[in-house]
Amino acid sequence: AEVEETLKRIQAHKGVIATIVINAEGIPIRTTLDNSTTVQYAGLLHQLTMKARSTVRDIDPQNDLTFLRIRSKKHEIMVAPDKEYLLIVIQNPCE
Amino acid sequence: MQGPGGGRRPPLVRQGSAASSGSQRRASILSGIHANRAASCRSQSTTSDGKAVERGSLVGNKYAIRVFDDVGKDVTPRPLFRSDPNNVVPRQGKLLASSAYFGARGSGFLSSFSMHQTSGVNASLGSFSRERNRIYVDICKNRPGNDRFVEKMMQTVNGAAKNKEVQCDKIIMEDKGMMVTSWDLYDSFNVSEIEPTSKAEGSRATTGKCSKSHTTKELDQTMSVSSDRGSTTSIMISESAILARNHKEEECHSEAILTSENFQQDLFFMERILMENIFQPKLAAYRQFPVLIDPDVTSDTSGTVAAVKAKQEEHNKEKKDKEEQKDAFIDPSTLSVLNKTPEEIVPPRLERLWSYVCDLTNGHSVSSMAWSKVNPDLLAVGYGAFDFKEQKKGLACCWSLKNPMWPERIFQCEHAVTALDFSMASPNLLAVGMYNGCVAIYNVRSCNDAALLDSSESSNKHTGPVWQLRWVEQDRDATEDGKKERLICISADGRITEWLIQKRLDCTDLMKIKRTESEKKKLPGEKERKSEALISQQAPGMCFDFHPKDTNFYLAGTEEGHIHQCSCSCNEQFLETYRGHKGPVYKVAWNPFSTDMFLSCSADWSIILWHRDSQTPILSFSSTTACVHDIMWSPKSAFIFAAANESRVEIWDLSVSTLNPVISCFASPRVKFTSVLFAENTDCLLVGDSQGEVSVFELQNLAAPNSNTVDTLHDIIGPAVAI
Repeated sequence: AEVEETLKRIQAHKGVIATIVINAEGIPIRTTLDNSTTVQYAGLLHQLTMKARSTVRDIDPQNDLTFLRIRSKKHEIMVAPDKEYLLIVIQNPCE
Repeated sequence: MQGPGGGRRPPLVRQGSAASSGSQRRASILSGIHANRAASCRSQSTTSDGKAVERGSLVGNKYAIRVFDDVGKDVTPRPLFRSDPNNVVPRQGKLLASSAYFGARGSGFLSSFSMHQTSGVNASLGSFSRERNRIYVDICKNRPGNDRFVEKMMQTVNGAAKNKEVQCDKIIMEDKGMMVTSWDLYDSFNVSEIEPTSKAEGSRATTGKCSKSHTTKELDQTMSVSSDRGSTTSIMISESAILARNHKEEECHSEAILTSENFQQDLFFMERILMENIFQPKLAAYRQFPVLIDPDVTSDTSGTVAAVKAKQEEHNKEKKDKEEQKDAFIDPSTLSVLNKTPEEIVPPRLERLWSYVCDLTNGHSVSSMAWSKVNPDLLAVGYGAFDFKEQKKGLACCWSLKNPMWPERIFQCEHAVTALDFSMASPNLLAVGMYNGCVAIYNVRSCNDAALLDSSESSNKHTGPVWQLRWVEQDRDATEDGKKERLICISADGRITEWLIQKRLDCTDLMKIKRTESEKKKLPGEKERKSEALISQQAPGMCFDFHPKDTNFYLAGTEEGHIHQCSCSCNEQFLETYRGHKGPVYKVAWNPFSTDMFLSCSADWSIILWHRDSQTPILSFSSTTACVHDIMWSPKSAFIFAAANESRVEIWDLSVSTLNPVISCFASPRVKFTSVLFAENTDCLLVGDSQGEVSVFELQNLAAPNSNTVDTLHDIIGPAVAI
């Protein structure tokens, strides 16, 4: 219940374009975008997250990736990775 | 061809017995081996012969196999172990000992060796070899005419060679490549301890449900084998494998993800990061990061509009000004810009940064605000109406700077919250006073909505709204050392109470505020009345403040307009009474720097500055025709205080002017300001209003306080006191 509330609040925030939750196989569980875009984001970000995590852990195996932010011209993609899922939020930060 | 015996080399000396065939066999093997070796070093060959003999003896006793290829060459596989001739000495001892039981045939021969060995053990290697060589040379010399040597030929049996074909399964070869990373190695090392337990559990689960279809069982096993994602996945999959369909499996799985704790935490962080993105310029201003001036943008008085314009223009110029962008730790495109010319003095102003508001608090009026004592970014806000008519359920929220759009903690209260304060000794305790006189203590650490302690069952509780409460640190005299903290409340039933926090909340009275007669001029012609018929002997208390330096003294303001100075040690009498207000005194506040002065505000539209020794007001500030709900001294300067009238919030600076406020900020029409709070660590002011919004304003361009503030304050009030 609290999870639902927080998720709804995040989706309703100013500038948030999309919120996607995908499981470890890359299948979207929750999304606010259409399916094709979601699948595209899911696949690409999954790979990028794996690469980022691999990089972090190569340098120090006891370290681990906690958060990934990609700032682009148009928006910012924020990824919270975990062993079982990937939480992706796309926001347009400046108005 | 070495077939029948070896005629090439005479057999070695044998003292004692030796079965001829065995020895001949040995010899043939021996010579076969020897023939294949270059006779470079005689000594070496001797020792290697010795070695080979030993080996040969072993081989001969064990296998007696000889292999010839098509040509007839002896290709008997030699033992792979060829010890270094230099290391022969110690090894030989061991091998001799171990092989001593390899048949009686070799025993005599070997024993001869051991005899040599014992003599040669302590000798150096070279000397031993030389000795052996010498012996051999002697033997060879003695051979030809010696009776002890007899040449003999022997026929050996050669087995017929036979070809045999064998068929086996095709050995499938697969090429596999893998990228090995250091974390992979680390994981594999650590996982090997965890894996066995999870696999055991997984297999237990699957075996328990053996009536399932074959396919699902396979799926289970393959999934649990291939899962390198941690033990929980395999367990969850095996549990949900009751349902044969993949779809349902995934549903359960996703439910598990959504309700997991990690997910909640990630959502929490994500929300905060979103907030940071949205509010970043405001938060930077709050933290007083220096503003970089962009020379290309002209000045603009409205802060936020300038920020937007600056951003747009800077986006265009970003490519040109890349160096400037790099050394700023704030993205310069989001800063507000002021272009000051040196002669221009910018007037002090309040700039609105953001407000703490959410759907939940809309409609509730802010009654009180308090900072946490340990975390200067944590704010507690109490929501409740002051009016008797507008009573609804109250709310106390804890807001964090990091999320201005949703409070961290929400405590729903039965009645309107009228006062709250954080404790200093246990910073997670929040005391809340309510409109029905109830005092509750909440633990901010837990997300639980329930109060830790409640005073509803107390027999001594207040019967009127608790207008103010505070945790006060007091030096106890002689009996206990160290400061103890007490919770003190004042309420409309005229009592100032101290609450004891034990299993149940209970209180003792510090003081009862008796009604004091106001000095009325007796009009001539009026009959003297003995005393008025009073409903209650006690005057409702509205506010109090403990002296910052000496916590034995405190001031209490009442609804009658009187301010009493009291002492903790004396319960009966007031020390002093200050009369000056004509309406209820809503707030009193000691000046934190010049501790003999205090300020009070009241519903009679005025704010009065008093000196504790003088019974008459020193200075009076009135600027509006609206009651002043709240005042607070600035923690940074002795001259500055803020006041919340109904329609505006004012900042007064006594060093600048005692007649007019320095800054005056108007509220939107339907909204009334009800409380003010200065921020300790930054130049910001928080203002709460009747719509439930707590706005954060930045104080800009206020005069900086100078060092000898106390003296100058006295100078200012000097003329007033003299009068």
